[in-house]
Amino acid sequence: MTTPKPPPGHFTILYFASATSFTAKNVESLPAPLSLKKLFDVLEERYKGIKDSVLDHSLVTINLAYVDIPEEGEEDVIIKEGDEVAIIPPVSSG
Amino acid sequence: MQLNSTEDSRPNGVAIATNGEHNGFSRRLTDEEFDRYSRQMIVPGMGREAQLRLINSKVLIIGGGGLGCPAAQYVAGAGVGTIGIIDGDVVEPSNLHRQVGHATSRIGMKKVDSLITHLRDLNPLPTYTPYTYPISPENAADIISQYDLVLDCTDNPATRYLISDVCVLLCKPLVSAASIQKSGQLIVLNCPPTPQGKVDKKYPPCYRCCFRKPPPANTQLSCGEAGIMGPVVGLMGVAQAGEAIKILASALHLPSSIPSNPEDDPHNLIQPTLLIYSYDLTAAPGPFTFRALKMAPRKKNCFACGENSPQTLTLEGVKSGNPNYIQFCGIQTPKIVLPEQDRITASAYHAARQNGQLQNHILLDTREKEHFSFGSIDGAVNVPFGKLLMKAATIKRHGGDAEEILPVEISEDQKDVPPIFVVCRRGLDSQEAVEKLKELGVDRGGKRKIVDIIGGMKAWKEEVDPSFPFI
Ligand SMILES: [Zn+2]
Repeated sequence: MTTPKPPPGHFTILYFASATSFTAKNVESLPAPLSLKKLFDVLEERYKGIKDSVLDHSLVTINLAYVDIPEEGEEDVIIKEGDEVAIIPPVSSG
Repeated sequence: MQLNSTEDSRPNGVAIATNGEHNGFSRRLTDEEFDRYSRQMIVPGMGREAQLRLINSKVLIIGGGGLGCPAAQYVAGAGVGTIGIIDGDVVEPSNLHRQVGHATSRIGMKKVDSLITHLRDLNPLPTYTPYTYPISPENAADIISQYDLVLDCTDNPATRYLISDVCVLLCKPLVSAASIQKSGQLIVLNCPPTPQGKVDKKYPPCYRCCFRKPPPANTQLSCGEAGIMGPVVGLMGVAQAGEAIKILASALHLPSSIPSNPEDDPHNLIQPTLLIYSYDLTAAPGPFTFRALKMAPRKKNCFACGENSPQTLTLEGVKSGNPNYIQFCGIQTPKIVLPEQDRITASAYHAARQNGQLQNHILLDTREKEHFSFGSIDGAVNVPFGKLLMKAATIKRHGGDAEEILPVEISEDQKDVPPIFVVCRRGLDSQEAVEKLKELGVDRGGKRKIVDIIGGMKAWKEEVDPSFPFI
């Protein structure tokens, strides 16, 4: 997978393992800026069911570093134009 | 991932020399050891002491399959002195494309015995300890406690959580890898090993710190169901051996290798990294798709290693079934069962076709196109399950003609609405597909029958066509 530069006003989102199967995509661009708290809702809107099947147990990185999804009352993180977000579900088989 | 090279650059607090005097670290290498390990010993950062540390180490490899085989080969080749291997399975022909420690001549043999046969031939010097049964909450601590480092080469979430928990409790470093289809993951956990509950500084994470909860049971796939490319899982297994050798040769498996002040740790010991490999069969060769992701340190609120974890996770608890790993990871139960009138056995469907009752009908096969490519029932049209769900979701959201989901043209005013039969691999997806189609109104308010073929192509092979190539 090569990672294309997102168009102006967008960030790149990469999907791995079951996130790839669910979205049928490796990569796409989404409008930036976006609050990390809202990321899962934006994805659920596009891919119905992805929250329960994939996102809830996946880890999320921004620019190759792990981020915690902020809970109610916790400080939010803003995904900026040009950022690279990745959705990484655990792989269990071997 | 660099080797921590010389004695001098090792983080403070590692007392190799004193530790070693009693355990044969100061002995000479035998001629045989010298010949066998010379090529790795002369690599900068290795040397005699690192080799002796490998020889004096004990490694447990949990799982003798696609990860365990390549990992064990390199661990044994490098001269790790004691190697335990645990697995309850036997060698099958479908293992051999990736499980390189087995052989055609050993099909039917216990995997552990087969792999040790291979390893003894490669290097007779280590002591090999076979455990020919699966790891379980009852036996995990007794076995793991006898080793310095653990490789998780298993194939299911419940076992992964169990192994990580017990490694935290026993203060053992864990090299964890996993792989399915075209993806691989690798992470070193709990290294340097840190006592449970310590959160006053930055410490290495456990499996639960990274993956808080398992995927829902109905989305967990095995390599048998989803497939696996040999080189992908092989690469992950080899990388596991590489990390294990690095940790042992540099004595990072000793609890005392935790830097006293992580802030100025020159070795980035507490910078856990998740390596991701994705292998795209449709892409041009390269660019290689490795990604190294910076993971967070130990989580304060982690169930297994966090602040209050000594109250939530104990060795006695694990042994007596608390936590319940099977329940935590969900039990694989067949999901929906449709009412009887919406289902037909493979043999009854076949008979209806044979005696002419079923001339005009639509047969949807919801298997993946790769499965479909090996063979299908005459007249079947392939609509892979994932695509069907996607289309259904789009129609539900944005509206549109529900029947466009069908791969065939049917005019609105056609009086005789042909029934639809749905078949999948083993009879689960097809039931969900029938439900989805009805939900969308493809049954035209009950005028059209939509029927599930019970047991899928597996049943078709068993009941109708024994020569059908079912995979
Ligand atoms: Zn933890």
